Amino acid sequence: MTSTESVEDPRLQQLVDGVVRLAAGDLDARIKPSEHRDDIDAVITGVNLLAEELGHIHSELEQRVAARTAMLRRTQVELEQMAKTDALTGLANRTLLTERIQEAILSCTDGGRAPAVLLLDLDSFKAVNDILGHSAGDAVLVEVAKRLRSAVRPQDTVARLGGDEFAILITAATEEEIIRIAHRASEYLQDSMCIGIETVWAMASIGVCVGKPGYRAEALMRDADIAMYQAKARGRNNVQLFHPEMLDAVQERSRITAELRTAVAGGELALLYQPVVELASGRVIGIEALLRWHHPVRGTIMPGSFIGIAEETGLIFELGRWVLHEGLAQMARWSQTDPDLTDFCLHINLSAAELLRTDLLEDISDTLATYGVDPRRLVLEITETVLMSRGTGQEQVLSRLRELGVGLQIDDFGTGYSSISYLRSLPADTVKVDQSLIKDMESDPRQQNFVSAILQLIFAAGLNATVEGIETAEQAAQLRAMGCLYGQGYFFGYPVPAAEIPSQLRQPARHL
Amino acid sequence: MVPDTADGGKASVALGVDGLLHLRWSPGVDIEVEDARAAMAKVNELCQQEQHPMLVDMATVASVSREARGIWSIPCGASRIALLGTSPVDRVLANFFLGVHIPPCPTRFFTSRSEALDWLNSGA
Repeated sequence: MTSTESVEDPRLQQLVDGVVRLAAGDLDARIKPSEHRDDIDAVITGVNLLAEELGHIHSELEQRVAARTAMLRRTQVELEQMAKTDALTGLANRTLLTERIQEAILSCTDGGRAPAVLLLDLDSFKAVNDILGHSAGDAVLVEVAKRLRSAVRPQDTVARLGGDEFAILITAATEEEIIRIAHRASEYLQDSMCIGIETVWAMASIGVCVGKPGYRAEALMRDADIAMYQAKARGRNNVQLFHPEMLDAVQERSRITAELRTAVAGGELALLYQPVVELASGRVIGIEALLRWHHPVRGTIMPGSFIGIAEETGLIFELGRWVLHEGLAQMARWSQTDPDLTDFCLHINLSAAELLRTDLLEDISDTLATYGVDPRRLVLEITETVLMSRGTGQEQVLSRLRELGVGLQIDDFGTGYSSISYLRSLPADTVKVDQSLIKDMESDPRQQNFVSAILQLIFAAGLNATVEGIETAEQAAQLRAMGCLYGQGYFFGYPVPAAEIPSQLRQPARHL
Repeated sequence: MVPDTADGGKASVALGVDGLLHLRWSPGVDIEVEDARAAMAKVNELCQQEQHPMLVDMATVASVSREARGIWSIPCGASRIALLGTSPVDRVLANFFLGVHIPPCPTRFFTSRSEALDWLNSGA
């Protein structure tokens, strides 16, 4: 075949056109061979066959890519599912809950109801874990998850946030429905559960925050958490609905915490002193040091507003140290300025947390030595709950204090769960009866009998009694008649600055 | 051995007294998967569990689809296959079959009938 013939053969042009179409990506392009079945037809046939193979490989590749892509997508969905699910309970985790809250908030901007968040914390889960072991703990968590799921509607999200903390997101519901779900969740947790051979209970403290338009996800969680802590504070195993005042209280607490840190160094603390009197003679036998915080802006703050926070934050150690030093320093000052005053005792309140202070004994004995105060002139007042639930460490501290000569007094007797039997074994000399017990004593003969019985009980245990909160001469007389030795209250003297104490002590005894 | 034939569709198959299978594709056919499947069924039918060498006359075949070629990868009654063609087109078609698929029995392309028969008989 010459070149002229090649050019003239129309099949060559068809071949070129076919190859161009194939090159352009049209893998279905085919060139029709002629009847000649010569070399050109063989090339055409070969090109057709190669195109067919190429098309096949291409489609196979596409299928594989599609299959792999689908597999990757499935895996991604599974991974996402895993990343957003709590492995133990199968519930949503914090990440998914947050996403769902965000979605619910976005959808409510179209006129729907704002979502609500319930935060649940199991009340005694640590004990289950500690006593029955972690696998039992896990079984409890799984059962709790199951019960919570059955307490909500299908569109709600139950999540485990970690540990024994759960959350429920409720969408598109009225406040009544939300509260109903919260109570249903609480109710479903009331029944005991069998874990192996053990029967356990897993009740929860539940905080509810009902969102409003504009409420952010973090605020919903935070406020439900605040409400949950309110539920804990109100005896656990109950439901509390968040109110803005709760947030104010939390903010107030954090403000107090911050300011309390600087209060000692800033000289904002002060002690007031209130006499403790021997009822028979009216003689002042002791002075109780009472802490006051003179806040530069908010005026005088009573200890009830900050001692709890100080205990929670550990600031109580610093406060306790300051009270001890200042009280004993004042005793030393009185000895110098008024050496004629009788040997009254200084009463100082000791917090439960302070009994765990490692340097407490050393601090007390050193401070007594520094100011030259006889240990027998120091009385530490400790609340009865501390003494009742004292551990071995606290027990040792108390006996060492007694060995040191320091007096111990049970404070606030009658406000806690007083036990008759424990009275005899208490490492104390005196019991201070809470003022609430004598409140209606003058008008109520039954209360009189009751107070009398309590005093008899204290005497029978070999202890002396001091009754606080005495406001009238009649109360003082009644108590004296009952055999009570000591009293304290406004009738005998208000808490006053140190400078006023010498004159009070010099006043003639207030006879009844 | 009784000579036997099976006609129909685009191909005819015969089993000669010499024990040779002869598959003839009709002139100018485009062999699709169904055609290949039908031809193979005929081959198997004639062989009846026995194996025979097979001469495939493909000199006038216009085209063989990929799927049709794939059918001949399945073992059948043929013990060896000689593909007989005459033109360069036949050669290309046969070599695509041989190159792309793995035949289940010895398979070769011939342009000479006698050489093809010799080769088939040498394996008998």
